[in-house]
Amino acid sequence: MTNDTSLQIRSASDESLERYSRQIRFPGIGEDGQRRLLAARVTLCGCGALGTVLANALVRAGVGYLRLIDRDFIETSNLQRQVLFDEQDVAENLPKAEAAARKLAAINSSVHVDPVVTDIDRSNILELTQDADLILDGTDNFEIRYLINDVAVKLGKPWVYGGCIGSHGQTMTILPGETPCLRCVFEAAPAPGEAGTCETAGVLGPMVNIIASLQATEALKILTGRRDKINRELLFFDIWDNVQRRIKIAPLLGKVDCPCCKHRRFEWLDGAHGSQTTSLCGRNAVQVSHRTPAKLNFEEMASYLEKMGAVSYNRFLLKFNVEGYEFTVFPDGRAIIKGTADVDKARTLYAKYIGH
Amino acid sequence: MPVTIHIPTPMRQHADGQASVQVAGSSVQSALAALGDKYPALTQRIFENGQVRRFVNIYLNNEDIRYLDNLATPVKDGDELAIIPAVAGG
Repeated sequence: MTNDTSLQIRSASDESLERYSRQIRFPGIGEDGQRRLLAARVTLCGCGALGTVLANALVRAGVGYLRLIDRDFIETSNLQRQVLFDEQDVAENLPKAEAAARKLAAINSSVHVDPVVTDIDRSNILELTQDADLILDGTDNFEIRYLINDVAVKLGKPWVYGGCIGSHGQTMTILPGETPCLRCVFEAAPAPGEAGTCETAGVLGPMVNIIASLQATEALKILTGRRDKINRELLFFDIWDNVQRRIKIAPLLGKVDCPCCKHRRFEWLDGAHGSQTTSLCGRNAVQVSHRTPAKLNFEEMASYLEKMGAVSYNRFLLKFNVEGYEFTVFPDGRAIIKGTADVDKARTLYAKYIGH
Repeated sequence: MPVTIHIPTPMRQHADGQASVQVAGSSVQSALAALGDKYPALTQRIFENGQVRRFVNIYLNNEDIRYLDNLATPVKDGDELAIIPAVAGG
C-alpha cells in the first residue's frame, strides 16, 4: 500500500475526484470515464440481495444519480445476504429502498439516491426508466424481468440481467439491437414450483455477490462508454459444484423468432402478460396490488383494524396480524399478505380487511 | 466415450441426485431420449409435446442448440450437454 496521491488533481473542482482516485488510475476508466460516471443516471429495479450489492458498488463508484426501486420491507431472513441492511432496519420496519438510501447517503453523499417504494408494473415502468442511461436488474422474478426487457428494447436502453438461486446464478448484458434480448435467450419463465424457489433451494450470499459484482462491472463499462468491453455471453456459475460456463448467445440474435426484439411486440408492457397479484418467491406470501394506486390513511385504518387484530404503523407501512396472517400494507394500497401462497385466498383476505 | 449431460439442481431429484449423467447417443435428441430411459421423470421436465419446454435451454458444448440444428444436432463422444433453466431469484 502507498499513501501517495499522485493522481494529478489540477483544479479545485477536481478535488471531489480524489475519492475515486484508485478507480481513475485504472486505465479502463480514467478521468474521462469517471466524469461520465458522475453524469450518469441509473434505474435499479429491486433492492434485495442482488440490488443491495449493485447499489453499494454504483454509489461507491460515483454514479451521478441512482433511482432505487423496491416494493418490499426488511425481514430478519434478508440479513444473511442483503448487504446494506442491519438489525436496526428490521426493528424499525423499514422499506428496503428507504433503508438502503440512508446507508448509501452515509457512504457517498455526493450521489443523488432516489428511493422509490413501489411495485414496478406496466403502469409506472416507463416513467421510472425513461430518463436512465442504464437499467439494472436486482429483481427476483421473471414477470418484472420481461417487463424490464420490453421497456429496454422499446426505448433502446441497455440493461443487465442477473439471477441467483441455491449455489448457482447467471447473468447477461442486453444492448437492444446489438445483442440477443432476454426473450431471445429465455423464451419463457419457469412456472412456480418448476425450478425451485428461494424457499426450497435457499440461496448462498457469495453467489449473489458474484453475480451482482459482474453486473456492476458491466454497468461501469456501459456508463463509461466502453461497449467494446461488454460481456456478450450468458455467464453461468455454480459455486458449490465448481462449475463455470460461458455460453455463446450472440448467434441467437435474429435466428430466433423473438416477439420482443424482432417483432417489437411488447407483451408485458402492453398488458397481454402479467398479473396484479403475485405469489412471492419462497416467502409463503402473496402481494396484492391495485391497478389504480390509492392513498391510504394509516391512522384511520389502524383505528378500525385494531378491533380485529394487532396493528402498528409508521409513515411507510402498516402491519396487521389477524387469523394467523400478517398483512404489510403500503400507502399506495398494495399489501403483502404472509401466511399463504394462495393468490385467491390472499385476494379474499385483502377484500375482507383492507377493502375492494 | 459417451456424452455427458449436466443436470440442473432443481431436476437432480429425478436423477438420483446426480449432477451429471453419461449416456450414449448420436444426436441431442437420442442422447436426451437415453437420459429419459434411465430417469423417466426427467423426460416430462424437459419435454412437452415432443418439444423442449420453453423455459429450458439445452446447450451443446456451451452453444445453444437453437442456432445449431436443434434436437437433430449431432453429438459425438466426449461432448457435453447442459440443461439450464432460467434462474429467477435474486
